[in-house]
Amino acid sequence: MSDINIEGTGDIKSDAIHCKVGDKIPEWVMESVCPERMRTMAAILRDPNPLHWDRDAVAALPLGLGKRTINQGPLGLSYMVNMLHEWTGPESIKRIVMRFPQVVLDEERVVAKGMVTAIREEGGKRLADCNIWLEHAGRGRLLEGEATVTLAVPS
Amino acid sequence: MKAIPAEIEIAALVGHQFPGGTYKIEPWENFLLTACTGAQLLPNGIAHPVALFHVPIVGSNTSIAEMFELGQAESDLSIIPESYDWEMFEPLKEEVTYDISGKIIAAERRQNERGQTYDWVQFCFEMTSPENRLSARSTITWQYTRNTL
Repeated sequence: MSDINIEGTGDIKSDAIHCKVGDKIPEWVMESVCPERMRTMAAILRDPNPLHWDRDAVAALPLGLGKRTINQGPLGLSYMVNMLHEWTGPESIKRIVMRFPQVVLDEERVVAKGMVTAIREEGGKRLADCNIWLEHAGRGRLLEGEATVTLAVPS
Repeated sequence: MKAIPAEIEIAALVGHQFPGGTYKIEPWENFLLTACTGAQLLPNGIAHPVALFHVPIVGSNTSIAEMFELGQAESDLSIIPESYDWEMFEPLKEEVTYDISGKIIAAERRQNERGQTYDWVQFCFEMTSPENRLSARSTITWQYTRNTL
């Protein structure tokens, strides 16, 4: 499973139907986290936190981040949603739990990744539990969590 | 050093109920939200799940700013998101009016591994469809840092 999708919604991966524990989820790449999207998001969310749109406010924090803006947590999480949608379809996500050990900064290249940890049945549905995370080449895992998705029944 | 709220005031937040209300995700809103995530629009009027952050908040008649105030945040810069837990019992749809309720389910004073004090607050919101089905639940856990940032 080496497919890589860049900012698009492709077909559901056929290998998702037959996935097994230990399989990797096809990656989803955000080539450059866009500060303009953070500003749009801040307006929609009515989020007063200037960390998402004011580089000077971030530079003034004792975190050594420099003049960058910090991506909203839900936006970083959404990259993993996009990964799961491309893998198992737009109605497949049942639960997603996300933690935020590191911030995501504007103009960073980040990659959503995941791995299947369990396959089970519940309520007549076949489910996959997964570890998921958002990775930066230099800083490692920025976000990490778990997801449960519905798998199509193998024909 | 800024004054830290009394621990009893933080603990008393548990059970705080927001007024509740309704929310309809408009197509233009879903379009903009989805574009922010870098994805294409989902088919059949399905709303991108990223809506599960702000829709429950606004729909329950509160705001991020009020949630900051309830925990007596030192500033808009002082909140650290610890975790978001999104449970989706059915796909969210555009142009469906959801009933939304929300409350604070946990609040306590804690210290991190560096000995820094923070207040740990957990909010839970539920979205119910017009057919009275529980559609989604969002649990937000934030750390209100104290004299750290």
